[in-house]
Amino acid sequence: MSPLIELTGVTKILKGQQEPRTILDGVDLEVHAGRSIAIVGRSGSGKSTLLSVLGLFDRADEGAYRLDGQDITRLPERRAAKLRSSHFGFVFQRFFLLKHLTAAQNVSMALVNGQGWLPRRSRRAQVMAALDQVGIAHLAKNKPARMSGGEQQRVAIARALVRNPKILLADEPTGALDTETGTSVIDSLLAATGRGCGLVLVTHDRDHAARMDRTLDLVDGVLTERVPA
Amino acid sequence: MIRLSGRFRSALIIGLQGIRARKTRTLLSMISLFLGVLAVVVVQTGASVAERAMLADVELTEGIDGTTVLEMNPTPEAAKIVVDTLKSSTGATALVSVTATIGEPGVTAINPGGSPFGENWGGGEICNPDGTCTAAAPPGQAIDLQLSAMTSDVREFRPFRHRSGAWLDFTTMPAMAPRLVLNEEAAKGFAEHRVPAELHIPGATSNITPQFIGVVDDGNNAPTAYTRLDELNNWLSAEGVVDPNGGNGVQVMLAPGNPVAQVLTAKLRGIGVDSYARTINSRRDMRDELKLFRLIFLAMAGLVLLIGVAGILNVGLATVGERVEEFALRRAVGTPRSLLAGIVLAETLLTGLLTAAAAIGLSAAGLKALSALFGDQQPFLRDVQFPWEAGVAGIIAGLIAGILGGFVPALRAAGIPIATVMRA
Repeated sequence: MSPLIELTGVTKILKGQQEPRTILDGVDLEVHAGRSIAIVGRSGSGKSTLLSVLGLFDRADEGAYRLDGQDITRLPERRAAKLRSSHFGFVFQRFFLLKHLTAAQNVSMALVNGQGWLPRRSRRAQVMAALDQVGIAHLAKNKPARMSGGEQQRVAIARALVRNPKILLADEPTGALDTETGTSVIDSLLAATGRGCGLVLVTHDRDHAARMDRTLDLVDGVLTERVPA
Repeated sequence: MIRLSGRFRSALIIGLQGIRARKTRTLLSMISLFLGVLAVVVVQTGASVAERAMLADVELTEGIDGTTVLEMNPTPEAAKIVVDTLKSSTGATALVSVTATIGEPGVTAINPGGSPFGENWGGGEICNPDGTCTAAAPPGQAIDLQLSAMTSDVREFRPFRHRSGAWLDFTTMPAMAPRLVLNEEAAKGFAEHRVPAELHIPGATSNITPQFIGVVDDGNNAPTAYTRLDELNNWLSAEGVVDPNGGNGVQVMLAPGNPVAQVLTAKLRGIGVDSYARTINSRRDMRDELKLFRLIFLAMAGLVLLIGVAGILNVGLATVGERVEEFALRRAVGTPRSLLAGIVLAETLLTGLLTAAAAIGLSAAGLKALSALFGDQQPFLRDVQFPWEAGVAGIIAGLIAGILGGFVPALRAAGIPIATVMRA
């Protein structure tokens, strides 16, 4: 089966006022539908940069990026935005919910993004389905201030799932949660892989990483497969 | 097209959400913009009201825009041709003017020569070659006035304002006692002086007893009376009304494009009478006069508006600074840069429109209040309506302020890197 994402020799160099620093050094990675990958590494090892490149937030300086078999290494921003909308779902460590909107409106935000237009009724149905997938449909009208951290992260996951993405990219989604809540959040993410969604999870938590199909170590920009003990 | 519409709707929905979420800031932006938009609306309202007031006065004396006015030497032959030609035509009125006296016969009138009361235009005296003048007749209770006899209703061209009584009815049989409608100055004279009801017109077979039936405002400050020409013709013929030596005139007013003008001109030329035609275009003349004043005041209003724009810009930049994460997140979920800019612009445009609505509402209410309070003292404020041009100017000012105030914040919002959410 051909991979959803195929990175080949991806290199990212940080060019600041100081000496250029290689953040990603010839990274090769394949992400398949319905499979999950954990990326672990120390702070500053380049995990978030890798996720930025995967999620089309940023562009690699060298190497190739193929999505669904198509080379998208050099993609104009307009097309990148379209692909982010149609292919990717993002979950961040901080939930980034807009406090003036309800849970349903926060999820709906991913649908009201200028990439096509859905009538209100269809939009509401999709939002409620996404909230239902993560088990918080009953909180649809609540604002973030009235929800716990775990509930807020589930709203963020629902926002990532509402467009039925092919790939979920999660950047330390349990970093701000206690162990029990974090476990249930990982459950929600893994449930998405059961529906054919590829998952890339950046985490410090070895227990959560162990629940993924593969675990990759990122050390000084070099990605290596961790061999199970 | 559908995609464009989707983006437009998205920008509108998110913009409205933003306004609702930041009501205080929106209010502050509106306050900073309000005076500028209000200034534009007030200047435009003032200019429109002034133009209408001036135009209304000019229409009374000159005629409404587009009217063709044909003037000629007042010869009896010309008068006969005019009256005969207009007898069966519509959209045209002839006014034959003559100086008449109402009151005691054989006396010098209270206002010799038909001058306004309180002014003296001279007349009523016989001056010798050596420069000494003596009264032509002893002073008495009589009023000199301009008598305008019409072939049909002149108000089609000169919309006199009704003051009291009735206007002339051209559908009835002509009365033996000519019905007169006075202008306000003439009515003032008859109210202040006790004058016998005896009308003397040079050339008439005898003195006539007139009927006063109403008073109008014709914009003329000299005493004038209006009557039906056919009622006057019971006492003297049309050509007899005209006094070539009296300086009075025959004037024909015609609706735009009325072919009678050409017929009449040709007939008059046939008897050797020159006629002069002109088309009334008061509105254009008035606009030219007001243009400079309007521009000066609009420039001042524009400056006030610019201060408002600076305010909205300031608030907009501060808001974008606070919403960096929101915009980065929106980009992460696929919102294009153009839509982010559109969201910010939608918010400032909606703020501008709301401000414009408030300014227009206040101006309209203010004008209504002015009309109600001072309408009796100032005729130009009577029944004055809020001009739609001022509303349009307010909306345009609001939109321009919204665009100017939102442009830089929109660019900032569109340039926020998505990585902001990764590094947070």
